[in-house]
Amino acid sequence: MTTERHLGGQVKDLLSNLSGHGTQHLNEIETDMVQTSLLLGEAIGKLGASFMAIHEAVVAQREAIEPLLSGTPPTPEMAEQLRARQEEIGRHVSAAVTGLQFQDMTSQLISRTVRRVVGLRDVLGGVANGTSQLLSDSNAEEVIETLATLNKVLEEQSVKLESALWKAVCQTHMESGDIELF
Amino acid sequence: MAKTILAVDDSGSLRQMVVFSLRAAGYQVTEAVDGQDGLDKAKAQVFDLVLTDQNMPRMDGLTLIRSLRGLPTYQKVPILMLTTESSDEMKAKGRAAGANGWLVKPFDPQRLTEVVKKVIG
Repeated sequence: MTTERHLGGQVKDLLSNLSGHGTQHLNEIETDMVQTSLLLGEAIGKLGASFMAIHEAVVAQREAIEPLLSGTPPTPEMAEQLRARQEEIGRHVSAAVTGLQFQDMTSQLISRTVRRVVGLRDVLGGVANGTSQLLSDSNAEEVIETLATLNKVLEEQSVKLESALWKAVCQTHMESGDIELF
Repeated sequence: MAKTILAVDDSGSLRQMVVFSLRAAGYQVTEAVDGQDGLDKAKAQVFDLVLTDQNMPRMDGLTLIRSLRGLPTYQKVPILMLTTESSDEMKAKGRAAGANGWLVKPFDPQRLTEVVKKVIG
């Protein structure tokens, strides 16, 4: 009776560990994927808007330059207009540079996701390896010992993965971040 | 003579944006692909400012800062972190390691240039 209870406890622990690890990995993957999608959407929107704005500003600048090319003497108003266009283009380029940084953030999120998937595969591989040592005629003590070893391996894998992961990227918008000088 | 900046980041696209922004403001920027590469380049040449990411392979930003602060030539060189990490805990670690400032990604080129100008002129 004691051995059966022991066996039941080990099986319960194993299933609970498997479920816990699997759920933890999949939750993290889901969070990172949702955030990747948000950042990509923001970045594409921002870059699209910047592209159109730069295009419009360049067309306006060309229209402002055309009279000068056809020999019209430059006036202070024309010079001011060109300066304003130049500044406008600079502003849109800056916005595009902020938007282009999505690759850095999404690649970190994707890298975390890949590590989670690898972690999950290692967990399942570890269980497969562990259970392959069980024979169909193994006695209860042998089964308990194998399951205890498996549970220990699962715990170690989890700690190892958590320490190897970089912290999650928390940004969900492509707006410039805080600056703090010490 | 142009002030020199060492930009350390494992993301090529991010380094490209930093270089684009700071060169346009007249700074001379050298790139390093991770903390170890940054340390090697910093040993070969003393820069006026180091701008580094935190999460990088081989050597992270905090380790780079501690290593630089251990060099006599880098005890007073300003070092800024440019990272996606934004927690107070990480900022405190950065400060303790010897960072002079913390910039959270993504950065706005104009704001980055203003900060750099404020720090090294």
